[in-house]
Amino acid sequence: MPSTAALQFENVTQRFGGYTAIENIDFEARAGAFVSVVGPSGCGKSTLLNLAAGLIEPGDGRVSVFGERLSGINRKASYMFQQDGLLPWKTAIGNIELGLRFRGVEAREAAARSREWAARVGLAGFAEAYPAQLSGGMRKRVAMAQSWIVDPDILLMDEPFSALDVHTRLRMEAELLALWASSKSKTILFVTHDLEEAIALADEVVVLSSGPASRVVNRYTVELARPRDLIDIRTDPRFHELYRQIWSELRKEVLASYARGE
Amino acid sequence: MPAANKSANKLMPGNFMVIWQILLGVAFLGAWQALVDAGKLDKFFFSRPSDIAARVVQWLRTGFIWPHLAVTLEEAALAFVLGASAGVALGFGLARAPRLGALLDPYIKVMNALPRVVLAPIFLLWFGLGIWSKVALGVTVVFFIVFFNTHRGVRDVDPVVVNNARMLGASEWQLARHVLFPSALTWVFSSLNISIGFAMIAVVVGEYLGAARGVGYLISQAEGTFDTTGVFAGMAVLSAAVLLVGWGVGRLERWLLRWKV
Repeated sequence: MPSTAALQFENVTQRFGGYTAIENIDFEARAGAFVSVVGPSGCGKSTLLNLAAGLIEPGDGRVSVFGERLSGINRKASYMFQQDGLLPWKTAIGNIELGLRFRGVEAREAAARSREWAARVGLAGFAEAYPAQLSGGMRKRVAMAQSWIVDPDILLMDEPFSALDVHTRLRMEAELLALWASSKSKTILFVTHDLEEAIALADEVVVLSSGPASRVVNRYTVELARPRDLIDIRTDPRFHELYRQIWSELRKEVLASYARGE
Repeated sequence: MPAANKSANKLMPGNFMVIWQILLGVAFLGAWQALVDAGKLDKFFFSRPSDIAARVVQWLRTGFIWPHLAVTLEEAALAFVLGASAGVALGFGLARAPRLGALLDPYIKVMNALPRVVLAPIFLLWFGLGIWSKVALGVTVVFFIVFFNTHRGVRDVDPVVVNNARMLGASEWQLARHVLFPSALTWVFSSLNISIGFAMIAVVVGEYLGAARGVGYLISQAEGTFDTTGVFAGMAVLSAAVLLVGWGVGRLERWLLRWKV
């Protein structure tokens, strides 16, 4: 099967002033794949996502989306930020429907579909609640529905669950996998600093070196069967083997970033 | 709210506090009345609470006060609406065109530094003795409050919120309408009470300095005839009106910002 890359980075280098965030990044995410990116803090993971989103233009090199060079905002992608970007003066469904409204979907239809999505992510009773009235987990659900409702081909996720407690986090990860499985062929680029999370969710784990001038150290294919049980998978011997293997590499990078005092 | 109640309860149970507050007021007015009656305070300069109350009641009963109060409120409302509209428009525009904003910045600061009272005579010349000279004075006060708040509201929008809206497909116009404008309005709403209070002050000052109607005019007329009772009665009516408007604005503000919880 000839696999088109949904997202492709070719020799991408990004500098901010005198600081080189990433250097010669080269990798692609196959269409329909779930790709995790791990690396120590300050390794330019967010820069990578912002490039894929088209929020910043690559200084050098090229970012392509389904074979076409990206310029301007990536219209094929949704972006789930580390802190949710919800509008505080809009209710849960008011926030979920934003993408539809921006695309010119008529108000009544947008509201109806937004309500469906609220129910789908377990917010049925909170459709009219404002973000300030919602817990961190529920806000993530709103953000998740907000990014999925527009049916994007690519989902960019920047440590979306890092601020949640362990149990809420496990549930959200499971729901993310369920959503992804039920949608056909969405590509997910999931940035995290948590290696366990990266392996448990992804088809492929990309390891970045510590910054500045991060590059791709290695890529690992995760051949664990799907659907995955996120609780039991952590006791799977193959999971452990993979974890050990990747960690031995990631560890060096983490130590290097410690050495720089981060 | 429960927490606030608890700490108030620690100081004094709520109902008792109200009783003490009323007692304090009664004691003050009583002392005033007694001192004037005993001849310790000159009635000519200080009038008497009972006389002032009688005057206010008379104004209300004859309906004499209403047209004056209506004029003052009308001027304040016009000043607020015009000043706030201009403030939102310019604050928004300059925040979106930072270069122009930087160019105009020193001039805006200079104009804001000017004590507004000195503008009253020139506005009287330009706009005459009618309501518009007072409205103009009120506008100069409201405009700057709203302008600075709008400016800040637009610039302080969380970049994540802006990027999120962009990624969801917002055009520049949609971004302004759904994200930046509401964000600026939240700042304007939270300064509603201040702007409307200042608008009232400005128009009363304007009336005081030259007018044919309004509560400020009443006070200046009473003063001109050494009618201290009239001056105090005018002040009482004005305070009551400002309190009532403030209460209404507070309710409106809470409703507009209900999402803040």
